[in-house]
Amino acid sequence: MESLIAAFICLLIAVYGAIRAVAEQETLTRLPFINVMNFGIAGTIVLLLPHPLTLVAAAAYFIGSTLEANAIASAYAKRGGT
Amino acid sequence: MLEEYGRILIAAALTWILFVSVDIFWRLPQKGGVSGAKAIGDLIARRGGNRNGGWMMGNIVSSPDASAGTLLAACGVFVAGIPGGIAAALLVFIGNRICHDPGFAGTTGALIATAVITLSTQFGFIPSDFIVGTVIAILTIQGLSLTKASHLLGRLWRWRA
Repeated sequence: MESLIAAFICLLIAVYGAIRAVAEQETLTRLPFINVMNFGIAGTIVLLLPHPLTLVAAAAYFIGSTLEANAIASAYAKRGGT
Repeated sequence: MLEEYGRILIAAALTWILFVSVDIFWRLPQKGGVSGAKAIGDLIARRGGNRNGGWMMGNIVSSPDASAGTLLAACGVFVAGIPGGIAAALLVFIGNRICHDPGFAGTTGALIATAVITLSTQFGFIPSDFIVGTVIAILTIQGLSLTKASHLLGRLWRWRA
């Protein structure tokens, strides 16, 4: 049950990241807070379901969301806006 | 209970040192690797932050770097021991290639983290401490104050450059 505390902290940080991202005004500076949320969620997935396949799920979630952040940031950079 | 919180804090400090030094070793603050990372760094600099620190934060957002490697290695060791950590390094490398990144920082970060976590289990730590430790460490860089974090990273980068 020890990892339950760890999972709770991860989830708390993920929720914090999500709130900061919503409160932030500019899209590009929202992305670091979204990144914090992604770290928290990937950690929570593994802590709640300790199974070797969960690692693949967490990595797929994390790498996919990083790719999305990359795409959003590049699109905004090309458009010249923030 | 208190002991677990202490372990988590020490793990957070260890992972912070680990991934920041690996990222700076692979010169992440030198330039924005992709256009999105460059734009994030420039925006943080316009808000009064440090340009190099901002670029490093942009690179962390845009591609799985050593912090992602550390997190996934901790997850891997947590679910499957050393083979799990090596599998995580492989997954991070694939992720880097998808994001048009050479993949050195993420892969070395994951491999070093696997070694550090395996070693620290000899001293009473459990791998889940390092999962939550990495999340806390990334919170201090990306989640509290973007300008202050960029100044700190910029200062560390000047020391390296």
